[in-house]
Amino acid sequence: MLFSDQNRRGLVSVFERCARASLLRSQDDLFEISSAPAASAAGGSLLIITTSSFAFRLLTIFHVDDNEANRGYFVPAGSGLSLQDSFAEVANLCCGALNREIAPCFPHLAMSIPCRLSARCLEHLPQLNPDYTAGFKININSAASIGVTLCMCCTAAVEIPMTLTAVQQSSGELEMF
Amino acid sequence: MGSITGGSLIARHTRKTRPADEVNRDVPSQRIEPGLKEDLLAQAGTLSQETAQLKSIAVAFERWHQDMISLSQQNREMHSQGDDLSSIVRQLIMLSLNAAIEAARAGDAARGFVVVAAEVRSLALRAQALSQDLSKSLHKNDLAATATFQDIQAGGKMMMAAISGLESKLGQLRGKID
Repeated sequence: MLFSDQNRRGLVSVFERCARASLLRSQDDLFEISSAPAASAAGGSLLIITTSSFAFRLLTIFHVDDNEANRGYFVPAGSGLSLQDSFAEVANLCCGALNREIAPCFPHLAMSIPCRLSARCLEHLPQLNPDYTAGFKININSAASIGVTLCMCCTAAVEIPMTLTAVQQSSGELEMF
Repeated sequence: MGSITGGSLIARHTRKTRPADEVNRDVPSQRIEPGLKEDLLAQAGTLSQETAQLKSIAVAFERWHQDMISLSQQNREMHSQGDDLSSIVRQLIMLSLNAAIEAARAGDAARGFVVVAAEVRSLALRAQALSQDLSKSLHKNDLAATATFQDIQAGGKMMMAAISGLESKLGQLRGKID
């Protein structure tokens, strides 16, 4: 197995920390993350960012519905930006943070620019032969809501240290062991 | 691209290898023999040239990048054509349904036309299934092309960072030999 259960938990733990740090406008905002089916996007568009190393490529796929709650949270007031453009910046920050967190384990890690795709592409993720896929639903202040799918494709054994070991028991949050 | 001829250097280096702390303690008093120093400098120079040449891989990455952009553009055009086809097929299905209704109304006189209308409807439904399959295939292509495009993009940055790191280390090595 190129990506063990322990490494999967390590990746999820790092992702959760980066998502919490990057997606929230204020760290006082309520952040809830729960597991969801990896290919659960029904319609709309996806935003994809790839982090590559010599041993793997990790696709981080965001699914954000264009609705009032998401626009209200992610689009800065008076910016005139679309939700897609505003969220692309936030997603870039999230993946940049993820990149920095795992960079010490992998030399020459690099990240792509975000690309937009139809949500109907998500069902074809298995064709990339991923070693691991995981889906999440993130709710912020019980209003804004996004879906995220992590898709890890390895070409060699990948070790991601488990840096978050606390068992988080709060309602709606992932439990890390 | 020329090859690096470093076998003898590696052999000599291997013979001299000692634990790092021991080597570091001896550094101030260590002297490199004049012949060896020139040899090391020449080899470091060759490595620097090879590394500089490797940087031209950026041109290849840019070419792949452009090819992937063309591929994505073609996919978008095919999506648009697929949407047009799907729209035509939907109209064809409605038309064949209307034809069947009108033929049924006409009674025995249009018995032959009922058969034709049913055949047209059957063909339209097959075209609809094909159009849906085509759309699915295009979405599959979109994902594969985007994943490859992004991997190439990130891979290019990765390679350039690796080459820059190598250049920097070679510079340090030449400084130490000098």
